[in-house]
Amino acid sequence: MPPAQPDNAEHAAELLAKVASEQSRAAFSELFRYFAPRLQAYATRQFGNEQTAMDLVQETMSNVWHKAHLFKPDRGSAATWIFTIARNIRFDFLRKNKHRQYDLSADDLWPVLAETNDSLDDDYALDDDLLLQQLSVFCEQLPNAQRTVIELIYIEGKSQQEVADALQIPLGTVKSRTRLALQKLKELIKHDD
Amino acid sequence: MIKFHPSEQHLVLYTAGELSPAMLMMVGTHVDMCSHCQAHVRDIEQQLARKLFGDVEKQPVERNSSLDEQAMLQAIFNSQPATETGVVAANDSLYLEGNHFKLPATLARNSHRIGDWSRLPGKLWRAPVTVGGEEMLNFIYMAENASLPEHTHKGNEATLVVNGVFNDENNEYRDGDFVLLDNHHKHSPATQNEDCLTLAALEGPLHFTSGLSRLLNPFSSLFFK
Repeated sequence: MPPAQPDNAEHAAELLAKVASEQSRAAFSELFRYFAPRLQAYATRQFGNEQTAMDLVQETMSNVWHKAHLFKPDRGSAATWIFTIARNIRFDFLRKNKHRQYDLSADDLWPVLAETNDSLDDDYALDDDLLLQQLSVFCEQLPNAQRTVIELIYIEGKSQQEVADALQIPLGTVKSRTRLALQKLKELIKHDD
Repeated sequence: MIKFHPSEQHLVLYTAGELSPAMLMMVGTHVDMCSHCQAHVRDIEQQLARKLFGDVEKQPVERNSSLDEQAMLQAIFNSQPATETGVVAANDSLYLEGNHFKLPATLARNSHRIGDWSRLPGKLWRAPVTVGGEEMLNFIYMAENASLPEHTHKGNEATLVVNGVFNDENNEYRDGDFVLLDNHHKHSPATQNEDCLTLAALEGPLHFTSGLSRLLNPFSSLFFK
């Protein structure tokens, strides 16, 4: 086997780095000549349709060309990265064929090509300070009665019953104000872009 | 510490994209929460990639006349990068009954699919997650000291603890635990002093014989023990 085939993981990663840093057409062509025929053979078996197979090859390799900067060598090999791109494209191809508007999209399941791939995972472990700051801004937009209830529950940590006692209003009112306030907050958050 | 994980087979089919939509969400959410399964999925991706791209000597590629390499290369060089369209902003906050839950990444990216909460008898709440496919995917929230009457399952049911703890006759299940029950299981889930937010899917048939998972057939002794 020639030493510098793209199936040598290090070499393939170097080629991708060249595509990312200097849009090297030569590096990409080398990757293409290795991966494209294999993708095509696989996609033809999958779809039993040459045109769809070609579309999968072209879309996968276009992403490799344009998104090479998103490849992270510490997370896996170039071949693995290209596999995950092809997996996503195949998933969406199958979905589109069924014309189902509610179906999951591949990017929502496996954000392989998201520009900010890591941020959400990090957020999950992050503390709530930022969220709280953001929320307090939204809280100011609530009607006074609702805001008071929310502040007593979420900032002072009172139970709904304690809030009812403190404000001398029925528990049901506290519950409905909480629910309305949370609904409103949810809308505010949803439209905050 | 997560004690209950999806099977190897679930992880392989998740990685290949060949579970039902509901189960893709379930397994994906577990993987978000479980570093052990994250590492496992990376291994499986590598295995599947190796199977797909093979190595030159074992898998000679037939040059297929329909692939005009030069033309496709030119088309790719001339193409514009896809603009990000239709990307829905992830929202990792879920509110219910005065509680705020932080959603794992897979759910956050799909938060626009979460429907309204409705109250069920016995301190239970339910919100559907619309993902397409035959199976139902729901959030189930159990308040403190809530219980379900003993029941069996018609089909397989998968439950994932997103936050909190619940128990049945056999075990206690905490954050990240993934439990699969078939129709032979009878159980009565209940909460004690802590509430519990779970994601539950009724599982459909798995398709072992199609698509990417077929690539694994030579390795089946490794994966499908």
